[in-house]
Amino acid sequence: MIELRQIHKTFNAGRENEFRALNGIDLHLPAERVTALRGPSGSGKTTLLSIIGCLARPTSGRVRLHERDISGLPERFLTEIRRCTFGFVFQQFNLISGLSASENVMLPAYPLGGDRRALLARAEQLLAGLRLAHRRTTRVELLSGGEQQRVAIARALINEPPVIIADEPTANLDTALAMEFMAIIEELAHTGRTVLLSSHDPLLVESSLVDRVIDMRDGRIVATAEPAGSGG
Amino acid sequence: MIFQPAIIALLLSSLVCSGLLLAATPLAIDLIRHWDLGSGSERQLLRERRTYLLSTLLAFVFGTQLVALLLFVFNADRMASLFVGAMCAVGTLQVNAFGFPALLAQILVFFLAAVWLVINHVDTRAPDYPLLRIKYVLLLCLLPVLLAASLLQWRFFLALKADVITSCCGSLFSDATPGVTAELTAAPPLPMMLAFYLSLALASGCALLHRRWQRAGYLVALLSAAAFAVTMAAVLAFISLHVYEHPHHHCPFCVLKPDYSYQGYALYGPLFIGTAAGLGVGAVQAFASVPSLRSVVPAVAGKLAGLAASMFLVVAVVASLIVINSRLLLLEN
Repeated sequence: MIELRQIHKTFNAGRENEFRALNGIDLHLPAERVTALRGPSGSGKTTLLSIIGCLARPTSGRVRLHERDISGLPERFLTEIRRCTFGFVFQQFNLISGLSASENVMLPAYPLGGDRRALLARAEQLLAGLRLAHRRTTRVELLSGGEQQRVAIARALINEPPVIIADEPTANLDTALAMEFMAIIEELAHTGRTVLLSSHDPLLVESSLVDRVIDMRDGRIVATAEPAGSGG
Repeated sequence: MIFQPAIIALLLSSLVCSGLLLAATPLAIDLIRHWDLGSGSERQLLRERRTYLLSTLLAFVFGTQLVALLLFVFNADRMASLFVGAMCAVGTLQVNAFGFPALLAQILVFFLAAVWLVINHVDTRAPDYPLLRIKYVLLLCLLPVLLAASLLQWRFFLALKADVITSCCGSLFSDATPGVTAELTAAPPLPMMLAFYLSLALASGCALLHRRWQRAGYLVALLSAAAFAVTMAAVLAFISLHVYEHPHHHCPFCVLKPDYSYQGYALYGPLFIGTAAGLGVGAVQAFASVPSLRSVVPAVAGKLAGLAASMFLVVAVVASLIVINSRLLLLEN
């Protein structure tokens, strides 16, 4: 589904503080599988997720989605792909303070210009599915960490993307909430979604939920493993 | 003499545009020579980012040139009061040898810029940059024209001298002056009127047909160019006479003056826009068979054809209103 060929990413190229975040990544990510990127801080996990999710462009190399090169697309087409193909769950959730849970969930769908009533119904359905129906009108800054993350997951799902990208999703959660998150991801995986995670939390990476673990260090893939007993 | 707000704006605009185009030239050459969408090399990815920036900058440059023509003419008309013997823009443009060449170059730049903008617009609608090389080759062809227009404009403005006694439009646009203008000013009104309405009807009709059936795109461009030329001749032959209500005043510039309620802008504005849109329809036809543009070209050409048809209709209506409301009777009964 997603194919990466010789991906390099260099920040501040040619300057004193030049930093090579990715060094020749070759990767094939099959559809409907849960893949986890594991590695220490600075290993390039977030950069790789950003490039796969069209949030950043590689310095060199190509990204292909369904056999179509997307890394060279002009911005207007990239926006469309980002909007309809990927749902993002960020480490810090990145919810908009002052807006309610349902308003936050609906935000990524506004540019598509659909019917607002239908959109609201879909947002409330998603929140209800994540056991947040009673908090839909609450401003997000008043929600607990776990609730905020579930709002972020609902927001990632509002445009019904086939791929979910989650960057360090359990970094700010305790064990109980991390388990809850994993249960949600497992449910998403069962609905045929492709899930891409980055984490160095063993609870998540070593769980049966993950089909494939990719170990990264210094911007390179150092090992790929398919844990025994994984869903794939 | 150059310390006039409009002149400063025009000179600065031509300086910025020429500078940007010259700066863009090495990038354009690099893109033409080395563009390879199949490659994932660092240089290619850099080119992909650069072309996005470059086409945005160039769209700004050429957009500026569209407005510059209007400002150039407006300024020439406004400055007429500063020169002895000048009654309108013609007097200003005749102060030195560069006035009319500068105007003609600016008109040429207007249409070429409009065509380039249309091609660029079509190119940015496809995901695979299908016209990239073509539009940058066209840019290199446009460069000398734009530089020449800038140079002529600078020479014209720098050579403006207040103590020059210039000649008015009456001497240039009269049937006594030998040349094409004399032929046109002496042309009988009825055949010119028929030619005028026929050319606009043909251009509008063809544009509407193209909008409906996506056929004869090149003919739209040809008829638009013909309608432009015939309308300009019609202005000399009979439209201007009705504006001034004077049987021997053929000036195509006095119609821009406040004394005549700026009627010229209502006539020339739609004419230039319609012609540019019509030329744009023809310009994109060559790319209709490019796979990634199969749906883009008909959509863009259809909109341009609609614009051209409506603008030519406006020209016909404005000219008719001028004739109807005039107290001058060129045609008996």
